[in-house]
Amino acid sequence: MRRTLLVRLSAVAIALGCAWIAYTQAPPQGKDGKQAKQANNTISKVADDLYAIIGDGGNSTVYVTNEGVILVDDKYEYDGQDIVDKVKSVTNQPIKYVLNTHLHGDHTGSNERFLPTAEIIATKNARDNMVKNKAAGVMRVVFTDETDIFLGGKEVRMKWYGRGHTNGDAVVYFPALRILASGDIGANNGPNVDYANGGSMKEWGATLDGVLKLDFDTVIPGHGPVSKRQYLIDYRDVATKIPATVTSMVREGKGKDDIAKVFTTNGGLWANPNVVNKLDQIMAELKN
Amino acid sequence: MKRTILVRLFAGFLALGGAWVAYTQNPQGKQAPAQTKAPAPFNLIKVADDLYVIDGGQAGNVAIYITNEGVIMVDDKFEQHFDEIMANVKKVTNQPVKYILSTHYHADHSGGNTRWSSIAEIISTRNAHDGIVQHKQSNAPDNMVPARVTFTQETDLFLGGKEVRAKYYGRGHTNGDAFVYFPALKVLHTGDMFTSATPLIDYPGGGSLVEWTKTLDSVMGDKSLDFDTVIPGHGPVSKKADLLTYRNNAEKMRTRVQTLIRQGKNQDDVAKVMTAEYKWQPDSLNMQWSLPGMMTELK
Repeated sequence: MRRTLLVRLSAVAIALGCAWIAYTQAPPQGKDGKQAKQANNTISKVADDLYAIIGDGGNSTVYVTNEGVILVDDKYEYDGQDIVDKVKSVTNQPIKYVLNTHLHGDHTGSNERFLPTAEIIATKNARDNMVKNKAAGVMRVVFTDETDIFLGGKEVRMKWYGRGHTNGDAVVYFPALRILASGDIGANNGPNVDYANGGSMKEWGATLDGVLKLDFDTVIPGHGPVSKRQYLIDYRDVATKIPATVTSMVREGKGKDDIAKVFTTNGGLWANPNVVNKLDQIMAELKN
Repeated sequence: MKRTILVRLFAGFLALGGAWVAYTQNPQGKQAPAQTKAPAPFNLIKVADDLYVIDGGQAGNVAIYITNEGVIMVDDKFEQHFDEIMANVKKVTNQPVKYILSTHYHADHSGGNTRWSSIAEIISTRNAHDGIVQHKQSNAPDNMVPARVTFTQETDLFLGGKEVRAKYYGRGHTNGDAFVYFPALKVLHTGDMFTSATPLIDYPGGGSLVEWTKTLDSVMGDKSLDFDTVIPGHGPVSKKADLLTYRNNAEKMRTRVQTLIRQGKNQDDVAKVMTAEYKWQPDSLNMQWSLPGMMTELK
């Protein structure tokens, strides 16, 4: 009997101990009560003075100059410190400019952190969308067509070519390196149209036609691995063929299931869940 | 005694200032009469709530727009005016100057960049940046500093709940003139696309008299620009109607010169008419920068 009691007591003690450990070791709680996530990113060199930080959220690009760092996109809020650490692993220069390719939180999540010390720049439409969505970290400086940044003798060009993923997608071009950070109009989980924020499947291909007038060899997409120019050419072709296919199939009287079947059979970007799951909206857009 | 020293120091300062203006305005050493005068004192003029103009220094009108997160400034005169501008800003706010929007690349509007660029973000058109880098202004000092942030069509600034828009509408005074619009106040800063003088067309800097009126037409036809008050690049704060008058006078001047050229008048003939009718002095920038280009453009 006594032994049973001892066993029971020790079982309770162990259980309590485990609970204690579980409680104290649990990751800190975020502001919204959700578990704050651990950043998980890798920085890799793409060219002289240019690095990609890939892992969480959208890809970030780091361009080092002797007057400061130009950063493209800043992932989620919980990646802010990791971005700073990753930049520190390659330069002592501070982050002076953050260029947001579009409004989404996986590309602008650390804006609040950088706003006091860096100039954050995006398209006017991206900012308007952030204001509309009551997003945090709204930037002070916007542009409509093109803004160019000159820092430490280097130049970066940020341009808007039209609608696609949203109505405010910017690409960032590094002319001396012939590199393009495409944002999500070249993300490998798309073409993913955010209709609520002005995106368009119909115009996506033409937007990429404009982007492809830039002279670059290397693409750092919004999501996915660093790629060659051909990746974005192929992407443009798909983005052009999708609306053509949908329009002609709708005209032939084909329904959503038939269209979905074609997309799945084509595979690649066509079969991305972000495409297939939005067929209703894509079909609605292309009807007009 | 103390007073005498002060007076002497002040006189010395004026002389140095005058010499500096003469030097920067006139690399060939030909002194145009208007440029050897001692600089006029600075005036701080209230245009609207939180918006002031700093006039003086024989340089472009500076506008300062105060927000609770900092000051947005338009243009920064010559490098030598840094302290004077700073002192005038301090008269009306404790907020630091955070942004400077440049209307164009000339040293009397962007010369102060040399000092301000380390403490404020300067934004100009891409062409204004290139004009400084390529040293397109024949009489500009060598230490001009261009903006780090540039735009081609439009950039908007949001600070302390206020908004300012800088837009490019086409060629005129140069190929990179920005208009700065304060939507909440219905005020427009025109840079040198509108001044109290006749149009100065900087052809080496991409200016165009033919495009000038078209550019002003685009400004006045832009439905997103709702303004009553106009801050010119030089001269007194004016009304929208004055901008239209200026546009029409620019057209008259163009027609007059075009008529002369088509009558077979050569550059010397036209120069004489410009002096007689428009008070263009023989050694003025008008004669150096504008007339040769007009002879070609208006053929």
